[in-house]
Amino acid sequence: MEGYAMLKWFEETDTNDPGILCSRLRLMRNWSEYPFPAKLDEAQSRELVERLEMGLKDIGELDQQKYDCTFIDEMKELDRKVLRERKVIHSAIMKKKTPTGLMLSKREDTGLILGGDDHIRLQLFARGNVLPALWKQANRYDDYINERFTYAFDPKYGFLTAFPTNVGTGLRASVFIHLPALSMGKRFVSAISDMGRFGISVKGLFGEGRDNFGALFEVSNQKTLGQTEREIVELVGKAALQLSKQENEVRLQVLEKHRAEREDEIYKSYGVLQYARRMTQKDALTFLSQILTGENDGLLKFAEPCSIFALMLGVQSANLQRLSKAPMGKEELEGARARYLQERLPKLKEAADGE
Amino acid sequence: MYGAKLAAWMGIGAKTKGMVNDMLCERCKIREANIQYTEVINGVRTEHHFCTQCAKEMDFGQYSAIFDGEFPLGKLLSGLLGIGEPVQKEEKIQQIVCPTCGTTYEEFVDNSRFGCADCYSVFDLLISDKMKQLQGSEQHTGKTPIYQNAAMESTSKGGEGKAYRTREEEVRALEIRLREAIRKEEYEVAAECRDKIKELKEENA
Ligand SMILES: [Zn+2]
Ligand SMILES: [Zn+2]
Repeated sequence: MEGYAMLKWFEETDTNDPGILCSRLRLMRNWSEYPFPAKLDEAQSRELVERLEMGLKDIGELDQQKYDCTFIDEMKELDRKVLRERKVIHSAIMKKKTPTGLMLSKREDTGLILGGDDHIRLQLFARGNVLPALWKQANRYDDYINERFTYAFDPKYGFLTAFPTNVGTGLRASVFIHLPALSMGKRFVSAISDMGRFGISVKGLFGEGRDNFGALFEVSNQKTLGQTEREIVELVGKAALQLSKQENEVRLQVLEKHRAEREDEIYKSYGVLQYARRMTQKDALTFLSQILTGENDGLLKFAEPCSIFALMLGVQSANLQRLSKAPMGKEELEGARARYLQERLPKLKEAADGE
Repeated sequence: MYGAKLAAWMGIGAKTKGMVNDMLCERCKIREANIQYTEVINGVRTEHHFCTQCAKEMDFGQYSAIFDGEFPLGKLLSGLLGIGEPVQKEEKIQQIVCPTCGTTYEEFVDNSRFGCADCYSVFDLLISDKMKQLQGSEQHTGKTPIYQNAAMESTSKGGEGKAYRTREEEVRALEIRLREAIRKEEYEVAAECRDKIKELKEENA
């Protein structure tokens, strides 16, 4: 029971459409009393972050969660990398040297970066394609913060942010989806750049183009000004659903003609993940993507529920390094990755039934 | 290409030897005048004829760049549009700065990043086109914060001193925009800016 309570949001397994991994919503806000963080010196940044943390210390009353308050710039580099791998912070914040605060809920589904690019960046995560619900939730947090800190707001430009790309709603809504079949297509790159015309951006979660091992993509809104929050979350949600539907159609067609080959690939991937003694990150993500596809297509069933997405986050280098007592070289890291997977990958249902 | 356009616009011609019309430079009165310089300031048109050397030596203010081979179109046209001002003024315009956080317009362009909330009103006129390009809109339609205190409103309305500063800022911003429009040869925008500047200056006087 205690173990269950400690689950992070990405370790949860009950999602209706497993090809849609999660939704993420970010809200950028600035307090009217200070210039934006890039214009603050060390002392001012610290003061800003401390005042914000003080004012928001009871924010957990909104979701009955405990929040850890830390300074990102004072954390060990490895811990900062882990946070980046889990999408809690982005690279620019990871490298920041001036005081930057982080308030993070125990489940890591709600985070506030204080004094980052903007004074306040609220981030919410939830499994599934649930952006409208996330916006509702974010809206409550937003009002809670605004009750304590007056925002920099302009009737014409809306919520004022350090970057003109965030101004207006200050809202970036994303859905993370798995597109292993679509992304193999020759026209995929041009198809996703076409979505720019509708104000949608599609980016690889772990890299660009062919380097995006694991075929996870982030679908998000390009524009933040001139649309309401509801319009934005609905647009992104619809785009993600559309892509996911197309993905499923392609997979169904492939399955009809090449079921045996697909099963073979998926079971081989499972075998490698279960028995390999060394594993590169690329291989781990590629094979995990295969078994995620297999699970979604009903070709393979786990004896226990398993969040493949959590494993895809878990096989990243900093996360593995943090689990180890001593610093690891490349080969040790690959060994640790293989063991990490063996320990966590559930048995298959057939095998479990047979016992 | 530009030379021809310039000449057409400004009536400045660097004349070739074959076209000599026997005019001597009005400054040295020795060398042949091969630069015709038409000044249009506040609607008054004056023609001058100089030799290249004199032209270089003379203080042409904002026009001196023509003779140094620097790209002159913008500067010339600002003369044509009737807001010809001394060189110091030009430099002042380039250094438009947000009074709250010290961000310069150039800095903003380089980093694509505002320094504070006030930067938006300081650079408003300069950025609204870019904003439209970037965002496809320049009008927020989403949520309005529910807790905006009185202190916030009073800063945005401002006292009388603030209003004056804002108008001056607006003129400076318009002047930069004008120069940009001229550089991009968007003459309609330029004329609009010119009229607005004139209007604001008259209001101030
Ligand atoms: Zn002369
Ligand atoms: Zn500023």
